Amino acid sequence: MMRLAALVLLAVLAALALSVRPSAPPVAWLATVALVVGGVGVIAWSVPLVTAAGSLVLIAYALALVVAGPAAEPLTAIALGSTLVLLLALVHFAGRVRGAVLGPSVVAAQARQWLAVVGWGAVAALVLTQAAALLAGALRSASLPMAVIAAALGAVLTVAGVIALVAREARGGPTS
Amino acid sequence: MTWRPTALNVSFLTVVGWALFLAVLTGRVELAVAAVPLVCALVAGRRSGAPSACRIDRELSTTRLLEDECVTVTVTLHAERRLPLVELLEPLPPRVGLERGSPHAFFSLPAGRETRWTFELRGTGRQHLRLEGPHLRIWGPLGLAAAESQHRAPATVAVYPRHAPVRHPPRPLRTQTFVGNYVSPTQGEGIEPGDIRPFAPGDQVRHVNWRATLKLGTLHVTQHHRERNADVVLLLDTLSEVGPEGETVVDLAARGAAALATTYLARKDRVGLIEYGGQPRWVRPGAGRAHLERLLDTLLSASVVFTYVNRDLDLVPPRILPPQALVVALSPLLDRRFVRAATDLAARGFDLVVIAVSPVRAARAAVPRSAVADVAARLWALERRAELDEYRRRGLSIVEWDGVEPLDAALAALGRRWRRRVLAG
Repeated sequence: MMRLAALVLLAVLAALALSVRPSAPPVAWLATVALVVGGVGVIAWSVPLVTAAGSLVLIAYALALVVAGPAAEPLTAIALGSTLVLLLALVHFAGRVRGAVLGPSVVAAQARQWLAVVGWGAVAALVLTQAAALLAGALRSASLPMAVIAAALGAVLTVAGVIALVAREARGGPTS
Repeated sequence: MTWRPTALNVSFLTVVGWALFLAVLTGRVELAVAAVPLVCALVAGRRSGAPSACRIDRELSTTRLLEDECVTVTVTLHAERRLPLVELLEPLPPRVGLERGSPHAFFSLPAGRETRWTFELRGTGRQHLRLEGPHLRIWGPLGLAAAESQHRAPATVAVYPRHAPVRHPPRPLRTQTFVGNYVSPTQGEGIEPGDIRPFAPGDQVRHVNWRATLKLGTLHVTQHHRERNADVVLLLDTLSEVGPEGETVVDLAARGAAALATTYLARKDRVGLIEYGGQPRWVRPGAGRAHLERLLDTLLSASVVFTYVNRDLDLVPPRILPPQALVVALSPLLDRRFVRAATDLAARGFDLVVIAVSPVRAARAAVPRSAVADVAARLWALERRAELDEYRRRGLSIVEWDGVEPLDAALAALGRRWRRRVLAG
């Protein structure tokens, strides 16, 4: 059941990437490779393989955006990010519980928790998108290199901040 | 117990990194937006402070069992605060089979609730089965953080060698003074009728044999044989060992010794045990259920101990090895020291029976199947048969037992009449 759910999530990811420009061959190939790698990852319950598949889907999505060049459409992106969160959490959980006894309501409790986190993330993404849209109006006169540099700096600071947050509590290395 | 980030964080960070890198590279905001739910998940999965406390109790259904019997382990988990996901793992020692359930479980508990988790273990070999206690892991949201600890509650289950009943164990030649199941040649109180003799003053009327009295014309009484017990000493060879773990010749010999001890003690005999190995140990002959447990405890820990010190049976006190006792030796007869000791006992007039536990099958089980191994095993079996014949010619009463067939079937080959002839010779 969990394997089927993971495969469905993987298919949704590939479909989201292809929904931007389904006819572009490189996008379709990348999505196919991502499906194969992700499928193997789901069958073996391997988080690294599913991570690789998620990265490939992101590359395919980026390529489709570059090739098609549509107008900014944040809902698909939010769905893509949320599905990635669910897929990674599900594969990790399923790999851990393989062969173990599951108490009553464990899966239901986990699903509720994941959906709450994903919902919170989707709302945050929507709020940020709206805030960015408002800010864009204010910064319309700023030159493009300035905006790119600011965005890159923001991205780097975000990643650094997340790493610092996660690593602050742990000094002895990650738990498997 | 403290929270630690799991390896799943690396996966999330990888995907976030890709999204942001591609966003900067392509200049598309959608990719940065796609990273937001992932970043939110990373933040939500972060945990600090002490994790929720919980109480674990573990119970074992028994602390003593025979090989291939099962013990039920019950773990009770009580959550003092809400536990969204808690993982329990009881590491199993080697040579333990899982009969039912799983030693690995996941639970989700609201505050103040408790849950029970049971699994059944099967002891697959003579051993002290030691369970250290379950490992506990409390998972944070999405599996991005975990807190681990071990509930240390060491418990030991004694897995005694299994023993099938022996219906026809070797009969002792000499009996002792206590009441038992063997008909003694001496006359006295008993059930088994013996000689008939003329009545003498003091004889009881109930012993009068009326048929003989009428036939002979004078009063005659029937005498009876006494029922007596015997001393049996089990001599276990732990000088050498062959075979896979749990099925070595020492394990097989221990099973045979346990079966014989149970049988003889049920017949009211006194049974002793000598473990003849690098570190000789013994149990004085005794009777009763408590004594059987003493013997089984000694058999449980019987093992090969390597030493350069060469000891023989002379150091065993006479009260441990009484001269009138039946000595049943269980040995693969691989070590010359044991053969010498057995030959010496037989030469000193001990009533000795050697159960030669075949090492061929045990050794065969320890090596992979191949044509060469098959031929080698057959050659070894032939060589061993010739060797046992040689020992028989020296006056030893030997039966061969492969450890798989019932001990009763192997002992059936030991004819009482043949033993008498051998001992007389």
